[in-house]
Amino acid sequence: MNWPHGMLKLVVASMLSTVGGAATAGEPTLAEEAAFGAAVRQVAGAVVRIEPVAGAAVVGAAGEEAGVASGPSTGLVVDPAGLVFTTSFAVPETAREAVVVLPDGRRVAAKPLGRDVPRGIVLLKTDPIPAAPVIEPVPRGSLAPGQWTIAVGRGWSAAEPSVSVGILSAVERGWGLAVQTDAAVSPMNYGGPLVDIAGRVIGIVAPLPAEPAKMMRGTELYDAGIGFAVPLEDLLAVLPRLAAGESLASGILGISYRSRDAINGAPVIATVRQGSPAARAGLRPADRIVAVDGRPVRRIADVRHAVAPRHAGDVIDVEVERGRGDEMNRITMRPALAATLPPWRRAILGVVVANGDEDDNESARIDWVLPGGPADRAGIAAGCRVASVVPLDDASTGGEAVEAPSNAALVGALAGLEPGRKVRLGLRRGDEVTATDIVLDEMIRDVPDEVPPPPASGAPGGGGAGGGVDAVRVARLGGADVTVPPLAIIPAGRSPAPLLIWFGSPHGTVDDAEATAWKGAAAAAGVAVILPGSRDRREWSGDDIGGVVRAIESLHAQRPLDASRVAVAGRGPGGVFAWLVAERLGTACRGVAVLDAPLPRRFQIDDAEPGAAKWMLLGGSRDDDAARRLATDRDRLARAGHAVGTLPESGDGGPPAALLCRWAAMLGLL
Amino acid sequence: MIPYRAAAVLIALLTTRVVGAATESSPQLVAASAAHSVVKIYGAGGLRGLEAYQSGIIISPDGRIATAMSTVLDSDGIDCVLDDGRRFEATLLGVDPRRELAVLSIDATDLPAAVPAEGRVAAGTRVLAVSNMFGVAVGDERASVQRGVIASVVPLEARRGAADAPYTGTVYVLDFTTNNPGSPGGAIVDSRGRLLGMIGKELRSSAGGIWLNYALPVDELLVGCEALVAGRGVAAPTAAATPFDLALLGIVLVPDLLDRTPPFVETVLPGSAAARAGLVADDLLIAVGARAVGSHAAAERAVGAIPSGDPVRLSVIRTGTVVDCELGPRPAVVDGRAPQGAAP
Repeated sequence: MNWPHGMLKLVVASMLSTVGGAATAGEPTLAEEAAFGAAVRQVAGAVVRIEPVAGAAVVGAAGEEAGVASGPSTGLVVDPAGLVFTTSFAVPETAREAVVVLPDGRRVAAKPLGRDVPRGIVLLKTDPIPAAPVIEPVPRGSLAPGQWTIAVGRGWSAAEPSVSVGILSAVERGWGLAVQTDAAVSPMNYGGPLVDIAGRVIGIVAPLPAEPAKMMRGTELYDAGIGFAVPLEDLLAVLPRLAAGESLASGILGISYRSRDAINGAPVIATVRQGSPAARAGLRPADRIVAVDGRPVRRIADVRHAVAPRHAGDVIDVEVERGRGDEMNRITMRPALAATLPPWRRAILGVVVANGDEDDNESARIDWVLPGGPADRAGIAAGCRVASVVPLDDASTGGEAVEAPSNAALVGALAGLEPGRKVRLGLRRGDEVTATDIVLDEMIRDVPDEVPPPPASGAPGGGGAGGGVDAVRVARLGGADVTVPPLAIIPAGRSPAPLLIWFGSPHGTVDDAEATAWKGAAAAAGVAVILPGSRDRREWSGDDIGGVVRAIESLHAQRPLDASRVAVAGRGPGGVFAWLVAERLGTACRGVAVLDAPLPRRFQIDDAEPGAAKWMLLGGSRDDDAARRLATDRDRLARAGHAVGTLPESGDGGPPAALLCRWAAMLGLL
Repeated sequence: MIPYRAAAVLIALLTTRVVGAATESSPQLVAASAAHSVVKIYGAGGLRGLEAYQSGIIISPDGRIATAMSTVLDSDGIDCVLDDGRRFEATLLGVDPRRELAVLSIDATDLPAAVPAEGRVAAGTRVLAVSNMFGVAVGDERASVQRGVIASVVPLEARRGAADAPYTGTVYVLDFTTNNPGSPGGAIVDSRGRLLGMIGKELRSSAGGIWLNYALPVDELLVGCEALVAGRGVAAPTAAATPFDLALLGIVLVPDLLDRTPPFVETVLPGSAAARAGLVADDLLIAVGARAVGSHAAAERAVGAIPSGDPVRLSVIRTGTVVDCELGPRPAVVDGRAPQGAAP
């Protein structure tokens, strides 16, 4: 390019000389610019380019789809002996090797040694890189939002480091796994250092694989002014383990909390999973966590902040308050966090307890006893209350009583116990408490035949809801956006009723015979039934889900519903839609029953959790193909820990109304 | 060769107008002065996600405006709105399909032309971007100003949809989101308000797949504009005249069956340049020269782009180690065959 340099210089010089002082206004800008340059030079020799090796990366989906690199990325030499940090984006689990391009242009092969899975960081080993400068980490405690941050990369050019400048947006993100910056980050500089204005390394730029990724893959945030970096200090703390080839997984404790407010709720334990680190360490339902690793915690969020940055295998100190009043103790336990929990096996007493008593101090009242179940075999009758649960012959809980002053506490006590375990129940009738020993069964799968259903809550003593068709009324539920407002069959009474939603014909009309069948079934089981149609009355679509949710709300406004007994069911396309509704409702849906409806593609099965496990009934198998799919679906659902039984066709070709209503009434089985 | 006209532009600027650059160097003043030179352009489009507007840079006081070559210009009436709100109908003087650049002319004088920076700047340089992004500047409102730094100075490797972008020369990659709808044709200026480059059209990086934020450096811009103003047509880029491929080096890769087939060597022809350089079956090709190749197709493209006579250097991974192989100068191709033994 033959630009007339001399002339331009002259032009610029003459302009500058004429204005003198005015140019000083720009000096802070230029001084900062110079500082950016100096900071980049400080680390540039440690910043390398990472190239994916095709042989590894193409396994599976195309790179962009799978959220792994299809092009160059960046790495940081953390030790001139040949240790390089980069991201799991650049070098995914499937990769056996990667290519590192050194600042001098030389390509060297590298092997992944270890990974920090929650942070999405990989440590690579390559030939020694003696020219790499020693990098200086910034102490995490000294970081402050607003300070300059510079992301340095080599994805664009192996020869010259790329520079993007921003400020620190937050010092804690993803439950403490990362810091946030508004410097432009992209796959090109993932793995490179985020440095401060002095060229010290704050962290490694990475797509944060934590919670935001559930809504949006971390890699999709690249142009949004939202970038993350994993603090180098945290990585240096685990460098010896990574260098030794360890793969560090997120650490799981294995507890759930009573409070539904996962942020501000009190950290009082609801359930302790069987075989979990918490169970082995002796944590119990009703314990209140007061400190983790010596740091006081008051809210569930405090516990998460303390535990999330730790890895599987780390031992943490958990201090709890146990007991009430004068009997309260402070106990410190030392669980070793685990990478995974053993699959939860749902154990039952074979009872349904009254729901609706939200009083924490009222112990659970047995409303119904499953004929032939553990409680029935032990001679327990409906009407008594469960005052305590004592696991017998068990070292881990010390054989001490778990007081069960509420439904939630009973659920929590059972969650930690596996089928086959013997427990001693303290049962209270009036003022008298008796002890009964009982061996827990595995959760049943099929709906027992010829069993009178549990009564609607609030009708102690069992004996079924009684009542014929007169015990229900039929209503159309309001809803502005539906052509045909959904038909609802509502049982008499005010106690919380189980709810079943049946997706039959999308047309939304119900013929007389079917209506009669539903009314009889609903009345016999004391179950509320909604029979919706689709908006366009031709087929079910995702747009109909909102209408279903509004129908539930509308019904609930007329008649209290039992949140622990909500089920969806359907046949064919209606069954497929039932899966989608179940996915939307999440843990609020406790039962799914379908005929001829395979699991939709991409269906997310949440692992069964104590207190929110589903009971599923699958049926129909017109041909071999369908039967094979059915078997696959059963297997998938069962592996996630849910109870999976068979839904038989009704003899008359109509919906199996009676069985579904009895099933819905039994969903709260404990 | 001195670009006479560009120099003339400068002299004209000096003599006819007090120029904003250099005299105004706070970010606010720089922004104001740079915005004077950026115009809003309205033309064809408005359908199927194609915008009917973009940006342009005044490059001479007598009405020459540089902008991006785009469908916006496929219109009988192209309107330019200056930062003072005056609206002019523009004439298209010519387009440079390689740089995707166009020059318009409006009938006006004493315009605040942009002052070009001297030479190229490096990564880390602070810049402002001025453009009609998203068309948010309505009526006589001025173009939008953003701030950031030059992230990298690299050859453009980009694509639009499935097609490769025609320009493969150097661009400034920017660390902020400059290449928005309506931004093409906007200006990138330095801390003194001097023009560093012109914002290009929306493209995705071929290497990383991400959307690019980039600008055509001012020297490329002015060379292109000079030719167009002088009435010299610029030919559209054509495919390489002398096709060349891996087979001519004696390398057969595993068949290209997948979306991104790994470029594993299936066989090396005996006596070929590849055989003499020590390549063997099962080598995984990772780079051609300095260029990384992540797939069979990328390897063929990279080899095809080696000019005749240039040294051929291939890097492979063999049993976990990178091996660099020198295959000598690229032979000329005669009748689709490399002369036997041409490469030492």
